[in-house]
Amino acid sequence: MSGLFDEMGEVKQNLQVGPNLYLLSMLAPKTASKILPGQFVHMQISTNPAHVLRRPFSIYAANPENGMIDILYQVVGSGTREMTFWQAGDKAPMISPIGHGWTLSDDIHKALLVGGGVGAAPLYMLCVALCKSGVQVDVALGAGSSNSLVCLDRYNELAMPKLRVLCATDDGSYGISGFCTSIAQDALQCAADSDAPYDYVATCGPEPMMKIVANLAHTANVRCEVSLERRMACGVGACLSCVVDTKDGKKRACVDGPVFDAQELLW
Amino acid sequence: MVNMSVNLGGLHMKNPVTTASGTFAAGLEYSDFIDVAALGAVTTKGVSLNGWEGNASPRIAETPSGMLNSIGLQNPGVNHLIQNEIPWLKAKGASVIVNVSGHSIDEYVQVIEALEPHPVDAYEVNVSCPNVDAGGMTMGCSPVSVGQVVQKCRCATSRPLIVKLTPNVGDITEIAKAAEASGANAISLINTLLGMAIDARTRKPKLARVVGGLSGPAVKPVALRMVWECSHAVSVPILGMGGICTGEDAVEFMLAGATAVAVGTANFTNPHASADVVDGIRHYCEMYGVKDVNELIGALEC
Repeated sequence: MSGLFDEMGEVKQNLQVGPNLYLLSMLAPKTASKILPGQFVHMQISTNPAHVLRRPFSIYAANPENGMIDILYQVVGSGTREMTFWQAGDKAPMISPIGHGWTLSDDIHKALLVGGGVGAAPLYMLCVALCKSGVQVDVALGAGSSNSLVCLDRYNELAMPKLRVLCATDDGSYGISGFCTSIAQDALQCAADSDAPYDYVATCGPEPMMKIVANLAHTANVRCEVSLERRMACGVGACLSCVVDTKDGKKRACVDGPVFDAQELLW
Repeated sequence: MVNMSVNLGGLHMKNPVTTASGTFAAGLEYSDFIDVAALGAVTTKGVSLNGWEGNASPRIAETPSGMLNSIGLQNPGVNHLIQNEIPWLKAKGASVIVNVSGHSIDEYVQVIEALEPHPVDAYEVNVSCPNVDAGGMTMGCSPVSVGQVVQKCRCATSRPLIVKLTPNVGDITEIAKAAEASGANAISLINTLLGMAIDARTRKPKLARVVGGLSGPAVKPVALRMVWECSHAVSVPILGMGGICTGEDAVEFMLAGATAVAVGTANFTNPHASADVVDGIRHYCEMYGVKDVNELIGALEC
């Protein structure tokens, strides 16, 4: 690898935004100016030796002008639980910018982004980049309930003319009742039936959801990228903890991913 | 100025710090953080003759003050190392210890034979990996089989031969003595302690292979004890490792009898860890008026 650095991030805000969901805003100017959509940081979440491993976090938003990055995290274990106690002024070192992010190629004209749960966050920077390039973007977000659709406002606030955001909740409290995969299926079908099919699908969320989306995209003959999550140790490509089976052998989710072409994966 | 250089069984190291095999690849991935030439040596990831796929995922789990791994010695084979990593390390000016793995005694020997024409400074014979079904720890648990593999490797090279021991034995000093008697120039210890982790909610093991090797600060007391025991059992120098995160940790291993130390899991917590340990040892020596780091070896007072 090259071009990685270890930056000391400073917590500016750490707010609960939904059930088990927190929005962490940190001052990390170097990361904010270098990170690309779909890349992540590997953060040391504790000086307590009980936690020997860093934690990988996707970047939700980065602002090179004020040096701020946002991370949306879900409390899943003792490490993330400890993070919920972070206050403004607390500091944490992060290795960044890590990994192969979303492919932003010029031949994308109409994109479908499918985010399940916190998977909505790593798609946001991609959405912004695509919208800025004039791509027509449809976003399908899914969550258990309306109070877990914590990224929705930001997507809506983009207010781009060619951006459409659709939602699904398990309990039907917002959007359609069901899964965002249903929205994806309908959207792919409609686009195929019209004369404007998608030429790119990106998805992030629970793996079973991503597999369904990847299969739908494959059936519709649309290129699909997925962002994988794996347990990681080094985060720089050395330890081979996070490997993923691909048609080309085992690849490292940290530096060869986390974004992979779905067709490349054996999953 | 503190003299930091040590001699590990014929391997001259500019300082006592290397990397623990498997935690650092061959250093290229850490090159944004570490100048490999600033370390006493780089110990590369275990390499076999034709490469191995390694184990199924998940391969790691964090545990209190440590982690379990069952990578299973995934590696692309010795020729890849010869063609890529060794030239890179040499161009950078690093000393290179190659960790040698095999499924059979013959394979260990073949790996060494393949490496002999190339600029390798020492070999570390891995008879201690707990994550493979053949070779590794299966060979390292009996003095007889350790003696056999070390003897065959000894015949294949005149370079410094370090034998890496498993702690998963009744009496590690018996294994250490067998390695020494068969021609080892140094021993390294400890490899990881066999352990497991369970997710009570799903009733499933956290590792796909169920069991794996425990490393990190959690194993340091065990490692220190075994280094101390071995230092009284053999006269060859010891490369000590197990949970070293700081210069002070490294000094403790040297006081227990280690000539050099390896930094492993700490690389994951802090990518600068190995260089920080070098600085920390030097700082300790300056603070306590130690002119030569060799004065620390076995200087435990008890």
